[in-house]
Amino acid sequence: MEKYKILEHKADLKIRAFGKTKQNLFSNALLAMSDSQRAEVSNQKTKREIKVKSPNLSLLLVDFLSEALYLSQVNKEVYKDVEFKKFSDTEIEAELIGNETKSFGEDIKAITYHDLEIYQEGNGIWQATILFDI
Amino acid sequence: MFSKKDFIKISEYLWEIPKSFRPDMQVPARVYASEKMLEDIFRDESLNQLINTTTLPGIVKYALAMPDIHEGYSFPIGGVAATKYPDGAISPGGVGYDISCSVRLLKSEYTEKEIRPYLDKLATEIQKEVPSGLGRGRQIKLSIEEINRILERGVPYLVEKGYGEKEDIENCEERGRMEEADASCISERAKNRGRDQLGTLGSGNHFCEIQKVETIFDEKTAEVFGLFKDQIVIMVHCGSRGLGHQIATDYIRIMMKAMPKYGIKLPDRELACVPFNSPEGQRYFKAMCAAASYSWSNRHMITHYIREAWKNVLGGKANLKLVYDVAHNIAKVEEHEVDGKKMKLIVHRKGATRAFPPGHPDLPEKYKGVGQPVLLPSSMGTPSYILVGQKEGKEAFYTTAHGSGRRMSRHAAIRRFSGGVVIQNLKQRGIIVKCHSLRGIAEEASGAYKDVEEVVEVIHQAGLSKKVARLTPLAVIKGE
Repeated sequence: MEKYKILEHKADLKIRAFGKTKQNLFSNALLAMSDSQRAEVSNQKTKREIKVKSPNLSLLLVDFLSEALYLSQVNKEVYKDVEFKKFSDTEIEAELIGNETKSFGEDIKAITYHDLEIYQEGNGIWQATILFDI
Repeated sequence: MFSKKDFIKISEYLWEIPKSFRPDMQVPARVYASEKMLEDIFRDESLNQLINTTTLPGIVKYALAMPDIHEGYSFPIGGVAATKYPDGAISPGGVGYDISCSVRLLKSEYTEKEIRPYLDKLATEIQKEVPSGLGRGRQIKLSIEEINRILERGVPYLVEKGYGEKEDIENCEERGRMEEADASCISERAKNRGRDQLGTLGSGNHFCEIQKVETIFDEKTAEVFGLFKDQIVIMVHCGSRGLGHQIATDYIRIMMKAMPKYGIKLPDRELACVPFNSPEGQRYFKAMCAAASYSWSNRHMITHYIREAWKNVLGGKANLKLVYDVAHNIAKVEEHEVDGKKMKLIVHRKGATRAFPPGHPDLPEKYKGVGQPVLLPSSMGTPSYILVGQKEGKEAFYTTAHGSGRRMSRHAAIRRFSGGVVIQNLKQRGIIVKCHSLRGIAEEASGAYKDVEEVVEVIHQAGLSKKVARLTPLAVIKGE
């Protein structure tokens, strides 16, 4: 299973993330975002605790990524991995794991709700389509 | 998929999709374009997005698209919607994530011939002084208190502190600060994102360019703007950076939650809106106004650093004067004539530039006689235009285009163009490029954009704004 792929969009960045489970889907969406930031990382490892609550699963995905983006930008860090301590359709408690960065190659402005979709395919694989404003 | 038969031809450059096209349309949708350009517009989602915009509560007359329209989300880029004051909708999606993204033009007293020998040095020095903010850049972190002062007092506060000149205030839209700005409507998170980004360009299509005035179309207006043939000018394009992005993120979430309370249902979540006079609407508007003040302050500081670079290379007496600074991602309360009656409207311009006509009370004194300067940047390596607002722009709420508009995705552009080859081609034409990312160069290659000449021809012929001068690039600078 591929972790994510980049879709066509004229001005912004549209990705489709995949996952065997919902957690796996969320962590691959995070990876898609952090890869897209094209950061020059340092060896310094970093961890950040996060707590996110949202009305439903798709909004939870946007809020989860928005939280990671905010922390990434103010702390100059990039998170390629996540450990979930609590995970439901409306709530996450987790630890973002990554590195400090020297610079970003792309400035992701925000995670949008545009054409936002999450669904499970017949083969059990979860999919999410997300548009990032860049 | 749209076709020409879905449109009513209003004039050579104006096309209308009638209200009957989709049952949820509140008003018709109108597109400023040539017949040839329409074909290009059919290819993406932008017309569907324009039609979605016609469903906004309280929308007046029509939703408009400028000729540089392209696909975004919620409103298309190049979309305009005016809603009834005070209870019509205000929508953060109609402003965009980059609140008050704007263009400013600085003029020098020098000609191309005089500057040529110093060009590379100037470009290098400016690149050093004006970071993108994505890397090490300038390491100044402002306190939250200082951010609050900038959010509420904008450019005049920075002039008070010794940055820039008094004249910079007069020559900036809204005199560099919005009256309604209220920092208490902005989250700590948004302020935090803004702390180390004042005076930074950002990435994507944001840039600083050294240009020359190549052609003057309107001598009289050019003289009022202080422009002459072969003159060296500098154009800066950027916005409110992470602070604005976070405000948009915060308020779209707040509005999505509040919409059911006001009985609002919309075809796209990103269109999320509330009545302007609701508590949520008022808070967003005040936050957006503060972000606009931050955005003008950002370019004011960039100007300060460009001036430093300019003086370092050319000596203490060399100076740059601000011609104008105008936003193309903003919502404003303005008075317009609708069906013969003057009324207040909330005008959303997303990737569209305000273009006030001669005599408009909000213009700086010195431009009142001719109209508002319109600054229209193009894609990398192609000409930019200076235009002027016209009375014929009334039908478009005095709005015009904001650039050339993308026709190819960034992804497709990377596949199609090589950054190295693009730089080489520009170099052969005498254009210097200072940018660390070859990928960024490929993404912004001019082939990925519509032809700016076609866009300018439409807005000129349709009377939205009149050509004053064409500027050609000499050096494109994207900071470290």
